[in-house]
Amino acid sequence: MRTTIRALTAVLTTGTLLAAGCSRGGPSGGGDDKVSGDKIVLAVLNDQSGVYADLSGRNSVEAVRMAVADFQAKYGDRAVTKNIEVVTADHQNKPDIANSKAQELYDRQQADIILDVPTSSAALAVANVAKAKKKLYFNIGAATTELTGKQCNKYTFHYAYDTFMLANGTGTAVTKEGSKNWYIVYPDYAFGQDMEKSFSAAISAAGGTVLAKDPTPFPNDNFSTFLLKAPAMKPKPDVLGTMQAGGDLVNLVKQYNEFKLREQGIKLSVGLMFITDIHSLGPDAFAGTTFTDAWYWNFDDRNRQWADRFMAKTQTRPSFAHSANYSAAMQYLEAVQRAGTDASDAVVGKLEGYSYDDVFARNATIRAEDHRVVHDVYLAEVKPKSEVKTDWDYEKILRTIPAAEAFRPASAGGCSL
Amino acid sequence: MSSFLQQCFNGLVSGGFYALLALGLAVIFGMLGVVNFAHGAFFMLGAFGAYIALAEWGVPFWAALFVVPALLFIFGAVLERTLIRRLVPFDPLYNFLLTFGLTLVLQDLVKREYGVQSQPYPRPAELSGSLDLGLFDYPAYQVFVLATAVVLCVAVWLVLTRTRVGMVVRAATERAELTRALGIDVGRWVTPVFAFGVALAGLAGVLAAPMRAVNPLMGADLIIAVFAVVVIGGLGSVFGSVLAGFGIGVAQSLGNLYVPALSQTLIFIIMAVVLLWRPAGLFGREEART
Amino acid sequence: MIRMFLRHTEPAGRRSLRYPLLAAGLLLALALPWLIYPPVAMDIACWALFAAAVDLLLGYTGLLSFGHAAFWGSSAYAAGLIAIHSGLPFPVAVLGGAVLAAVLAVPIGYLCVRNSGIYFAMVTLAFAQMVYFVANQWRAVTGGENGLQGIPRELFGLDLSDPFVFYYAGLPIVLLGLWVLWRIVHSPFGHVLVAIRDNSARARAIGYPVERYKLLAFVLSAALSGLAGGLFAISHGFASLQEVNWTTSGKAVMMVVLGGIGTLWGSTLGAALVVQLEDYLSTSGFDGIGIVTGTVFVLVVLLFRQGLWGAARQLGAAADRALRRSRRPPPPPPAGPEPAEPIPTSSTTAR
Repeated sequence: MRTTIRALTAVLTTGTLLAAGCSRGGPSGGGDDKVSGDKIVLAVLNDQSGVYADLSGRNSVEAVRMAVADFQAKYGDRAVTKNIEVVTADHQNKPDIANSKAQELYDRQQADIILDVPTSSAALAVANVAKAKKKLYFNIGAATTELTGKQCNKYTFHYAYDTFMLANGTGTAVTKEGSKNWYIVYPDYAFGQDMEKSFSAAISAAGGTVLAKDPTPFPNDNFSTFLLKAPAMKPKPDVLGTMQAGGDLVNLVKQYNEFKLREQGIKLSVGLMFITDIHSLGPDAFAGTTFTDAWYWNFDDRNRQWADRFMAKTQTRPSFAHSANYSAAMQYLEAVQRAGTDASDAVVGKLEGYSYDDVFARNATIRAEDHRVVHDVYLAEVKPKSEVKTDWDYEKILRTIPAAEAFRPASAGGCSL
Repeated sequence: MSSFLQQCFNGLVSGGFYALLALGLAVIFGMLGVVNFAHGAFFMLGAFGAYIALAEWGVPFWAALFVVPALLFIFGAVLERTLIRRLVPFDPLYNFLLTFGLTLVLQDLVKREYGVQSQPYPRPAELSGSLDLGLFDYPAYQVFVLATAVVLCVAVWLVLTRTRVGMVVRAATERAELTRALGIDVGRWVTPVFAFGVALAGLAGVLAAPMRAVNPLMGADLIIAVFAVVVIGGLGSVFGSVLAGFGIGVAQSLGNLYVPALSQTLIFIIMAVVLLWRPAGLFGREEART
Repeated sequence: MIRMFLRHTEPAGRRSLRYPLLAAGLLLALALPWLIYPPVAMDIACWALFAAAVDLLLGYTGLLSFGHAAFWGSSAYAAGLIAIHSGLPFPVAVLGGAVLAAVLAVPIGYLCVRNSGIYFAMVTLAFAQMVYFVANQWRAVTGGENGLQGIPRELFGLDLSDPFVFYYAGLPIVLLGLWVLWRIVHSPFGHVLVAIRDNSARARAIGYPVERYKLLAFVLSAALSGLAGGLFAISHGFASLQEVNWTTSGKAVMMVVLGGIGTLWGSTLGAALVVQLEDYLSTSGFDGIGIVTGTVFVLVVLLFRQGLWGAARQLGAAADRALRRSRRPPPPPPAGPEPAEPIPTSSTTAR
């Protein structure tokens, strides 16, 4: 009897779960009005449960909601429509889920634009979906330059950062400041390989030398081999450039400090760092490290005001991904307002070539040639703990890298729009 | 030459972690026939235990080294009594899957509470310098880790070979029915041995906290490598697991140095080669293979 | 040897139920995109075939493979490359992928089947990791971490861009694969596999070349996994490293266990369930996918080792008994045989 009850429960639960997923079938339909479905739907598709959950995740959805609220406050009754919705899905860092969800968001939830999408394979897959569905897509979370290169398309825009911008900023600036000899360590997958190539190019162009470049396993928690190799090299490198990200970066920096490489005169430069990484280890572990940041909350009053509003909603300080999501949503809505409709082609027309200046993107232009959004970026250095006056105030901005310098020239990408 | 030795030493340190974890796994497998997928999660719980102990109650590293494994010992005992032993009579696959499910749950619980970002954990102040080992300097803490790992492995070895408890455990591992037939109560040692394996994983976690990133996924990446280590050493063999642990650590370290592109799969290539040469692992027993 | 496949043996289970069940299953498969979002429906179909192929090894031969993603994934890449570069109809590309998977499985299987139990699982995992490594490194061909993007759907010029339409174009491939599995299982060859699972020493003593049978089962399983993987890649329009990742192998095993080891229906059910669960958790906003999946696993393994299909069968048997009891009052019916443990614990399996 007990086994029968168990069996019954199991079968009923299964049945309910399977049935719950139903009623989303049927062939896809179409339809067009001035504002499709009489509402604008912004969809945030990102990682809400895995490694990117903290630096973007659910808080980016909040940021987008802030943008919607600000847009509605700004235009009131003059807005193209008052009916603006924000939906979201978690792609769990899996490109096949991202692919299915993107299609579903566009088809079933009538999303007019998808935002964020970290993880390169997912980002590229969604770009293809956007192209097929002819709907807009602003990628914020992924770094691959392929989005504005060979895999570019009319409806895809790359918003916040990419591997070239990160490498060019740090590589050039640090080399020019006098650290000519580099030892580069990079994780052996596409992102790491791209970063290494961009860094090497930038360093050579600035007159520096890459003494060695070693691929490391990915993921990896033990970097001692590489860290021990550095001081023994002849000539000794001035700076260790690391392209690791996330947990690997934390491991590397912890061990970098263990082996006291900084005391031996080998500075640390990081390819990609988020403020949440600094928070993981504390600023002292990273003190003196240079990197390129797309945006920093404590840079000026305008950023601080926005960061305070963000903190009121989320109890934490924003990373550049959060503010980029806000800005992307805002710029999309503004473009719709200018076009008078949310029809994709019209909005794309209003976005291409548009120059603007908002809290995230300063001196920004949306390039028509490859849909790369160029904006000012910042060369940052991590403060030692003694200089940190308030929570999360970890960065010292050394200089602003203007938009024209920071990003890869449009002709170099191989994009043909 | 000294840099080569330094890299070997490197390898021994990371091998120490492999050895400790493989030891726990081998002991649990030997005694219960359970392939404990959750071993990586227990390692992570050890590290997080140390972090939480410090952050919430100011328990310093040295105290955490005893307290956290003790707590995990109790946790392991509870786990064995309530869940694991129900599946021991069946095919080992089921316990493997049970521990896999447990891993997902434990990892996610920690993730919900603390997020995926790493947590800071400082090195103990007494060990923050470097030691002059004659041929080269080395961070003191890592020397401590290696020493602890070696001492623990030797201690377990001594217990297994020189004490009555160890004799019973070894007998139960190799010939369970015969041992029972001789009148020895094997059953009462099952829970303590399992709990000990878990505690050992937790201890490795505490040791790792100051030198590795403390995040919910730190065990997941490690567990596959540890499985490979145990298989290379031979699933039934405690000595094999420890030796393979240190050996693989050194191999990986040198691999990073000479063939970095290959180093990620090096451990699997080694495993495939070893299994082709000796299908039961280096020190495994043929009968444990089926 | 061929005769071993051609002869058809009587499947277990009640005759009167078998054909209605098959008909119902077919109907459901045809109606699926009306009920469930079409891309997800195609996913369910592909995973169902993959899980069933894994079940051929796990449930019927008693070999747990933790590396089948190598075949699913390498076929995905192969099918994608064929589709991109040759413009052949997509079923040809999918078949090409399956052939590659089968070819890959021969050396891997040869080296693996000398082991069994957990050793077998570990060796398959090792080889799968090597395949992953190659896929990651061979960036020119596979796109590395960016994945192989832009795989077209070509079928004599028909417009297959609507996933609803594509489901019906791809479904025959899945049904073919499942039919092949069904025939394998209900043939003398399949029965020998079960004998090997139950007691390989005895099978060897009777005179069957056990390793050769295991190898053949391995290759067949790999080929069908490849068939599923190739279709999956065409359906999504890309192939990524996720396809060769060990967690994909684990997901297939999870589907088999959830659905019911040793039953082809179970694998299909398990696939539907896991895909739906993942899809649901993605939009539900619930912060704890691992907790849900992990708990489901733990519960299934502790309480429903027959899997959900087994549970359904138990219910059916119980209902049947109740029905018969109500028809013929005395005497009390003998306790029906409890469904046997899906994987028997013989004395030769590891403790």
